[in-house]
Amino acid sequence: MFVDFLITLVKILFIFGVTVGFFAPVLTWVERKQSAIMQDRIGANRADILGFTAFGLFHIIADALKMFTKEDFIPRGANKALHTLSPIVALIPALITFAVIPFGGVYTLFGKEVNLVISDLDVGLLFIFAVASIATYGYVIAGWSSNNNWSLLGSIRVAAQMISYEVTMGLTIIGILMVYGTMRLTEIGAIQEDFWRWGIFLQPVGFFLFFAASIAENKRIPFDAPEAESELVAGYFTEYSGLKFGMFFMAEFVEMVTIGAIVTLLFFGGWNLPFVTMDGILSMFDFLGETGANIIALLIHVGVFFAKVCFFIFFQMIVRWTLPRFRYDQIMKLGWKILLPLSLANILITGAVILALE
Amino acid sequence: MAYTVNRNVKLTLWERIYLPEIIRGMYITTRHFFINLFGFVPFFLGQKKHREIFTVYYPEETVKYPVAYRGRPVLALNENNLPNCVACGLCEIACPAYCIDIIPAENTGKQNEVERWPKEFTIDYAVCIFCGNCEEACPEEAIFMSDDCEISMLDRSKMKYNLEQLLVPIDQLKDRVEFTRKMYAKWNY
Repeated sequence: MFVDFLITLVKILFIFGVTVGFFAPVLTWVERKQSAIMQDRIGANRADILGFTAFGLFHIIADALKMFTKEDFIPRGANKALHTLSPIVALIPALITFAVIPFGGVYTLFGKEVNLVISDLDVGLLFIFAVASIATYGYVIAGWSSNNNWSLLGSIRVAAQMISYEVTMGLTIIGILMVYGTMRLTEIGAIQEDFWRWGIFLQPVGFFLFFAASIAENKRIPFDAPEAESELVAGYFTEYSGLKFGMFFMAEFVEMVTIGAIVTLLFFGGWNLPFVTMDGILSMFDFLGETGANIIALLIHVGVFFAKVCFFIFFQMIVRWTLPRFRYDQIMKLGWKILLPLSLANILITGAVILALE
Repeated sequence: MAYTVNRNVKLTLWERIYLPEIIRGMYITTRHFFINLFGFVPFFLGQKKHREIFTVYYPEETVKYPVAYRGRPVLALNENNLPNCVACGLCEIACPAYCIDIIPAENTGKQNEVERWPKEFTIDYAVCIFCGNCEEACPEEAIFMSDDCEISMLDRSKMKYNLEQLLVPIDQLKDRVEFTRKMYAKWNY
């Protein structure tokens, strides 16, 4: 009982450390530096400790210090309670989704089965979408409570965009469900041990639809109409400063990690290497004993999973620094007239193929 | 007649599919990313003198300006360490911004090689417009535009440079001297 509790605690701390402690701060640096290198610039390199800049990595510390020490400003006429609440509502769901995302398979360590997921829900996939949609309330409330026209316009756009793209996302998930026959994320990951059953082969169109919809859900360029700098100053978080702004900022980066993790899990084999099965690794490291071989397998799988996540974050960054922003009507047109019919057609064809194969 | 812009750009089917063009754009940016990323490596290993990225880390690195660049005007010291200026006042007259102020004095034999010398010569860089007319007007090759453009001050009064601050050995201005000779000789003054 106590051991179970300890294992869960370790898993929670690990996920929390990786997302909030590692990915969120490092991604602020990566975004600046990668965009700079892509555009033939040098990028952040001014913050230094004793003349040592470490490729601008100290900008993370400088940013954190800036956010902590900035005045927390609440505009006159704003709804104080909601203005304070909304960044929390935006950030927490992004973190909660990691509760059901497995980052490794099942391993036998010292005679005990360890499942590398904090909570192995049998409706894991639905849970992610249910929780992720709550974050929308945070953004909408943020715009409304700021007593600012730009914020309000931004939050209206958030609401419209979320409604449009959530539909596509949900319908794409149906295709996944039909193929794998389960909503338990650990099972979906385990099925993909076979390379030819990776989601990208079974649902190639689904991958593009899901990826486009999830970038739109995260409100990043090219779907960043809700916070469009050149139109709405900063959209729904125009009136936020200091740590509250930091929370919105962090929510965006944590959501990027979430998207990377879900895409990896559903379409790119999760923690599995292509053509390498769990049994293969265990038999290869048989000389280390059962626990030793399992530990090696655990390290490989977790490493592979986060390497894949990093690749998809990199991919999202490239999309963000390559494409220009869609106009608002173009976003709606793309969502309702192109992605939605495509996702419906995807379900139809998937169903037809499954029926034909039976 | 009103100017009209044709906004009906005809897209081919390939462009209207949209996805191939997005992938092409992403290919270009990714290529730039990797070229620049690995362009850093030989530079840091010391095998290459320059990075692939040519952006300059400004305060630490500077670029050499071309010789035609007009920075702050300075007075030339000749080989005998004496000012070339004879305080004729032509630059003062030529200056469109009235930033040059000269008080001439008679030479006592040690300040200069000729009869007159500038007892006081001030240029107010807060007023100067860096047009180069003073250099063009000068008959004695005494005033030159240098390549120094970093003349920001916290106090406006410090922008007024006197004779001692303005004098620069002519060795440092060699390129500019040559340039002005070529330039103004061509115009047949």
